Amino acid sequence: MPRVARSLILGLLLGSLAGLYFGWFPFPSHSRSGALPNLTQRYRDEYTVMIAAGYAVDRDLPGALERLSLLQTDDIADYLRDSTERIIGTSAHDLGDIRRLVRLAHDLGRLTPAMAPFLVLDGGEP
Amino acid sequence: MMPRDQPNGAAPKPTPGYFSYPVFSLSLIAGIALGLVLTRIHGPVQHGKTEPWQLRVDDRYHYQIAIALEYAHSGDLPRAMKKLIAMRPAQDPLGELAEAACALGSSGYLRSDSGINALSKAVALYSSQGRAGCAEELLPLQATDSAPDPPAENAREAGFATPLPTKPPLPDANASAPSSRLAPTAVPRPSFEARSARSFCDAANPALIEARVVDYLGRGIPGQRIRVRWGDQADIFVSGLKGDRGDAYADFQMEEGVEYAIDMPGAAEPLGANLSTGACYSGNRRSLKSWRVTFVET
Repeated sequence: MPRVARSLILGLLLGSLAGLYFGWFPFPSHSRSGALPNLTQRYRDEYTVMIAAGYAVDRDLPGALERLSLLQTDDIADYLRDSTERIIGTSAHDLGDIRRLVRLAHDLGRLTPAMAPFLVLDGGEP
Repeated sequence: MMPRDQPNGAAPKPTPGYFSYPVFSLSLIAGIALGLVLTRIHGPVQHGKTEPWQLRVDDRYHYQIAIALEYAHSGDLPRAMKKLIAMRPAQDPLGELAEAACALGSSGYLRSDSGINALSKAVALYSSQGRAGCAEELLPLQATDSAPDPPAENAREAGFATPLPTKPPLPDANASAPSSRLAPTAVPRPSFEARSARSFCDAANPALIEARVVDYLGRGIPGQRIRVRWGDQADIFVSGLKGDRGDAYADFQMEEGVEYAIDMPGAAEPLGANLSTGACYSGNRRSLKSWRVTFVET
């Protein structure tokens, strides 16, 4: 009887460790428990572009900031500047998306020379 | 020849080993299954590898609202639907958007004008396609008034096939956008007054203008633009960008020998006096004078 118990416990222990290892590293969960900051770069950019599009409609800077803050970056404006410059550099989005990103970056005080050609202001506002 | 100790011809009885290999094998398989199940329930979603459909419930809601915000700009229904469907909804994607709006509206999202504004965009999207939820009732009246359509930059709505048989037909490319679409609400712009400007000396933060933008209760307001002008130049900095310093905080680096005028364009008059930096001493250490300016909502 101790022989069976010994085999059972050791088997379960080793099996569980193996199962946890494989479920954690090579085949991680596809459950719905991800967070916005963990989005792939592509979808982080897409989210940022969508927020910039919303900002183009309502010019609600606090709202845009609040939504971008969900990405939990250290500095939202720096994040937007880096993302916009990268998107410009890689042509990953269309011109309209880039212009909206640039406008939001401008209004957050992060316009850079790389963005300047894409800046479109309305009504003469700075 | 029979061995001497087996006189009656019986086969030697094997001595039991340390292990029962059949039991060990079965329990090993059960253990692997248990470990895998545990990682399915509480396993990691690796950083930087999450797709929108894998988002947890609250973040999923925010992503769906972002889709609605983009739709309010572009008017591109196929694009919005494609993104909503990519989130692998358990039901009708627009129905799920209505649920998201309802859940957010019930959880304090409408405390700010930004929240009202965003939620009205979501309502506009799903109600234009014949869906309904509770968010319409939660929104303040002015947010649900009928008003002109939002600018549609790219109305490519023709020929979009919905996966849902219950969905009303979509308008064709020549048809005007649904008149029942809700208006994007203009966010009222608050006004502020510069209430205090005090200099301080901090060797760790020399020559800095630290601005704070607060409401009448002293709570920080993020996203407010503060303008600094010197000579014929100007720069804008925005409150709330440095999360660790709070929603009210914004700062600007000064240079020695330059005078700076500070205001909030369209929201606050310039501060009465110009700000400049100069030598100061913090303990025995020489540094450059910094300023703290507070704008209070009026």
